[in-house]
Amino acid sequence: MSGFAIEVSNLRKEFIVNKKNGFFNRKKERKVFTAVDGISFNVKYGEIFGFLGPNGAGKTTTIKMISTLLMPTSGKIKVDGIDVVKNPREVLKNMGTVLTGERSIYWKLTGRENLEYFASMYGITGKKAKEKIDYLLKRLDLFKRADETVEKYSTGMKQRVALAKALLADPKILILDEPTSGLDPQSALNLRQLILEIKEEGRTVLLTTHYMEEADDLSDRIAIIDHGKIIALDTPDNIKKSLNRTNVLILELNKWDRSIENSIKDIDSVKNISSKFNDFSQRWEIKIHIENGSKTISQVIENIVKHGIDITNFKKEEPTLEDVFLDLTGKSLRE
Amino acid sequence: MKYKHYLHAIWAIMKKDAKIFFRYPANAIFNILEPIIWITPVYFLSKAFQISGKNIGFAQYSGTTDYMAFLIIGDVISSFISSVMWGMGFSLKNEMDRGVLESNWLTPVPLLVQLVGRSLFSLLMTTVNSLIVAFIAWRIFGFTIGDGIMKSIVVLIPLLIALYGLGFGIAALVLITNDANAIIDITSGALNILSGQQFPVTVLPRFILPISLALPITYGIDAIRGILLNTRTILPINIEIGILVTFMLIGTFVGYKILKKVERHCKTVGNIGFH
Amino acid sequence: MKSLTSIFAVFKKELKIALRYPSWFMQLIIWPVALPFGYIFTARALSGKDASSLNQFQSMTNTTDYITFILIGTTIWMLVNSMLWSFGSRLRVEQIRGTLESNWLCPVPKINIQIGHALFDLVTNLIFVIVSLIEFKIFFNFNFAGSPLLAFLVLILSIPSIYGIGFIFSSLVIWAKEINSMVFLVRGIISIFCGITYPLTVLPNWMKSISKIIPMTHTINALRSVIAAGANLHDISYEIKFLILSGIILMILGILSFSYTQNKAKATGSLGHY
Repeated sequence: MSGFAIEVSNLRKEFIVNKKNGFFNRKKERKVFTAVDGISFNVKYGEIFGFLGPNGAGKTTTIKMISTLLMPTSGKIKVDGIDVVKNPREVLKNMGTVLTGERSIYWKLTGRENLEYFASMYGITGKKAKEKIDYLLKRLDLFKRADETVEKYSTGMKQRVALAKALLADPKILILDEPTSGLDPQSALNLRQLILEIKEEGRTVLLTTHYMEEADDLSDRIAIIDHGKIIALDTPDNIKKSLNRTNVLILELNKWDRSIENSIKDIDSVKNISSKFNDFSQRWEIKIHIENGSKTISQVIENIVKHGIDITNFKKEEPTLEDVFLDLTGKSLRE
Repeated sequence: MKYKHYLHAIWAIMKKDAKIFFRYPANAIFNILEPIIWITPVYFLSKAFQISGKNIGFAQYSGTTDYMAFLIIGDVISSFISSVMWGMGFSLKNEMDRGVLESNWLTPVPLLVQLVGRSLFSLLMTTVNSLIVAFIAWRIFGFTIGDGIMKSIVVLIPLLIALYGLGFGIAALVLITNDANAIIDITSGALNILSGQQFPVTVLPRFILPISLALPITYGIDAIRGILLNTRTILPINIEIGILVTFMLIGTFVGYKILKKVERHCKTVGNIGFH
Repeated sequence: MKSLTSIFAVFKKELKIALRYPSWFMQLIIWPVALPFGYIFTARALSGKDASSLNQFQSMTNTTDYITFILIGTTIWMLVNSMLWSFGSRLRVEQIRGTLESNWLCPVPKINIQIGHALFDLVTNLIFVIVSLIEFKIFFNFNFAGSPLLAFLVLILSIPSIYGIGFIFSSLVIWAKEINSMVFLVRGIISIFCGITYPLTVLPNWMKSISKIIPMTHTINALRSVIAAGANLHDISYEIKFLILSGIILMILGILSFSYTQNKAKATGSLGHY
């Protein structure tokens, strides 16, 4: 197959926002909010492409445009070579999408009935439908409770029904918006395994997430998105390596405040600092990105000790995707 | 090929709506009880004006002393009207609230086809329902209808198709407003009053009457009453039928255009799946 | 004091949400006239072009003014209807939206939340009645033959009964998980048995007996006497006594049933169910 599974060029989405002012909200302020700010990227056939970014970064908006639910303000999107805006129905025939997960299926229908309904909507009927549905129910571990109404399922099961629905039409391309959001760690792990299997079948997967591990473990390539712009696009390893002169120091301290943070930031090759208070251990966990290794490390430690702070733990690590994000934006992924 | 797919989709939608409907069993019962509950106070109101059991005063306006027959016909037809409106509007709002509307938009079945599917189920339920209600009303309150049931059904058909046009417009409104129920309630209510569900439109004040006369539904109800009860019709029945057919053609066209526009608007603003 | 804060918080929240659904405006302005409209013109059609049928009406109701007769009935009906909807749907809608659990997790007596809602309803209903009266005056030349203050008193005395029924109703809704059919059923009973649009004399005897125990019947009768026939306090003393008594009984029952439901729901965990 030549070409790309998904091609996005100069994609832009602006929303007009009316601010609510008091009781009888007259439209006193109309602002234009740019959710997606002219992004471009391509997804290769057969790869898992991850969209990583904090909440509100523009991931879901982008996904909605690709899945035909939202009209771009400008730019072009092609899925399997078909223009999404001009030919949405053609695109939908070969694309499976899981958006709001548990709310995207009928709670008063059973798992099986949901799949029967959507199969018909995708044009799959009769014996072929029945075989497909049985296959998917078994594969996604829903078979035993397939004939109970969805309102009785756990969140994980509902998510799997939504995934089965997306797989009904045997789509070449699968779009998943925050697939493991709201799941417990084990269910999330199982779902990720499933996504890898789906890829093995030769399908292309575009997924969004704000979990670093998910992007890192699953994706062949990632785009990091923040405030509607793509700030990095490459394989996870390459992105991490881009911080190759950077080291990450992780310290556990008994005291921390703004003035200490500022004085450490003043040190020459300190690039970024993020801090978090651990309620359980009653300690501060500080992450410092530095360049030029050993000399800087000594300066940092000296500075901290000078402030009368105890260092209860110390580690030096390779940068993770979260560190890359911190490096690029100055803020934490989970803010 | 494509149309076969659409037919399957419509069938699937009807099956889905039926399953969900019957899983709220209170609904089925209530759908029969409610019309009876609405009719009862009006029945008693009519009794307050009866002389020896006949609505003499009423005949001076309408041409018949059997007010209940007049009312039941109006009610049956209105229930069909409501079914189109509620089938389109209310069920859409429901799915929007639940988040499942998005899933439906992600299938390759056009919105129009989906709306038709929803309405068909609603229409089927209403037919069964109306027959049951009419029967119960006949047992409790008593009324008489002449021959001409077949002919009246023939008149009903273009009226219903015409209402699809209106229904698409309603569906469109539901998609862009937050508050479908109120709109449907008010439109439904207004239509019922203005089209003469409960009383002959000729008793309406002079400044409202023109609105009534501009509604094709008015002629639909009037024609059917004329056929079944021999009442005085506003216009000759054949002309009224002609009006209905014209309405059918225009209504569906206009409704379709509105729907397309609103669909595009929703995709620009992105409010599918929110409420 | 803390109670008042939470009650007003609920009040404010309800107001904000309500105002963000633009149709509240239409409901307030349109319904007072729209609902009786159908009945009034039906009555007009029924009364015919000569006086004979109208005289028949007068013999049962002591008036040919079927307009005022009907307007009073429908206004009360609308008040009861709005009460049922707000009591019923408040809890149910929040149950659906998932915000019910959030609310019940706040360290506030649950009844306060209901009182906050009830306060909101009271204010909106008061506004509704005032707007209705203005519209009746404009469109139907509505007039008070008797004392408006007395009519107002009748309304106030009817509130405990209505609210008591409301509390009982909202408990039922939490169980049934179904508002629509419940509201329609209860208000249907009201519309059939309370003489909203017709004199009770046309009812068969068994129905008359049921009418007599429903508080709204007496509200409507008292209001018709006062507004259309100029009755005074002494004339409607029976109705007043009935309303006071039923108000007390129904409020007690209402609060009891609400507590019971609350406890049961906690025990079975059905609170968060869709």
